[in-house]
Amino acid sequence: MREAVESAIDEGRMGDRLWLYATYHCNLACVYCLTESHPRIADRRRLADEAMVRAAREARELGFTCVGITGGETFMLPSFPETLAKIASILPTVALTNGTLFSDRVLKRLEPLAGADAAVQISLDSDTPERNDGLRGPENFAKVVEAVPKLVERGIRVRIATTVDDQGPAEIEGVCALHRSWGIPDEDHVVRSVVRRGRADVKGMGIVPGEHDILPELTLTADGAFLHPFAPTVRHGVTDLDLLVSRQIAPLEAPAAAFLRIVADQPAGADVVRDIR
Amino acid sequence: MSRVRLLERDLAPLLSRGWYRADGSASPLTRSLATAPDVMETLMPFLGAIYSESSLDLATKELVIVRVSKLNGCRYCIAAHRPAARDAGVPVEHIEALCDERPLAELPERESAIVDWIDVVTLAAGEVTDELTARLLDHLREDQLVELTLVAGATTMLNQYCTALGIPPP
Repeated sequence: MREAVESAIDEGRMGDRLWLYATYHCNLACVYCLTESHPRIADRRRLADEAMVRAAREARELGFTCVGITGGETFMLPSFPETLAKIASILPTVALTNGTLFSDRVLKRLEPLAGADAAVQISLDSDTPERNDGLRGPENFAKVVEAVPKLVERGIRVRIATTVDDQGPAEIEGVCALHRSWGIPDEDHVVRSVVRRGRADVKGMGIVPGEHDILPELTLTADGAFLHPFAPTVRHGVTDLDLLVSRQIAPLEAPAAAFLRIVADQPAGADVVRDIR
Repeated sequence: MSRVRLLERDLAPLLSRGWYRADGSASPLTRSLATAPDVMETLMPFLGAIYSESSLDLATKELVIVRVSKLNGCRYCIAAHRPAARDAGVPVEHIEALCDERPLAELPERESAIVDWIDVVTLAAGEVTDELTARLLDHLREDQLVELTLVAGATTMLNQYCTALGIPPP
């Protein structure tokens, strides 16, 4: 199977990253959230720490070359700093976060990541607090601008992700000025559109992705394996199944086999037409 | 009212969509199974093998399905298989007898032996006797007995599935 995975990656039919949805629980309720995550979500659907570590190990064996961890808010999991370090010791890892939970205690626990092949990717949608917080939640901007320098100081690689709804070029440039001021290079700033799924669909926001607009990247959740990280969306509390690959997530070989069958139909070389990453 | 989602093709998992008809339609049973694509991948070929024509003729299989479904009180399967039995050549009066709408005594000996076997297998499998088996083997080969019993078992499984999950009759 490793050969098939590597070949599909080389041909551009799938991405080399395994995604893990650590939890659907979040301390924020962003207006465009794919998973309708929020602080009082009834079913948190978390992946157990050991399940994520196992998946990373098996991913390495199968020819995946990196891991992404998302949610929900990854740092809502009490043991996440340690789990992240374990996963990062297996494969290069990026953990997506809203950047609001980096207390001094958590920062201390993240210190083993300094110099590791790991990054935290923090969402920041505007250079003004009002605009950013309108999309993401009260005080989000202030917490992010406080957290990022502290992470950078500790030698932890930080990426910034900006999700674009109606922000103009000047506003995006303002975010660029901010991340540059923190010493974060342009290649570590991800800018992508709101995808019209999940809560964004309910609110009529974002772009409707075409069949081949998003590069398939095997994505594991507590509900099963999905085609890419924009797939396991939730509308009105119900998980969308249109991009479900398999209900089985372990051993990884099982969903990977189903995933390979699906991406076999993906045009070779097809990639993210709209740069949705 | 179904207790699980009945997915339209466009909302079904990618690997489940192959089990829908070319025009995008599918039975409520198929649409309910679509939420579990991995199970479907094994179950659908299994059901296809069990329920399609084989060394056991289709009329006999449909007779078994209707009778088992009647015994288990499965509204979905009775609704789906009464017409299927008719299409397979089971006489209407036999179907009515299988559904207890006419006396079972009106069935010919072969069908009567099958129904007696099916009734015991479905209601109290431990009470199957050698005499009952011998009577059936007067009409069927051993491999056909195996297949017929599997048809009965698979039908009970689907009866329980459709009834418990409230799958609406087609």
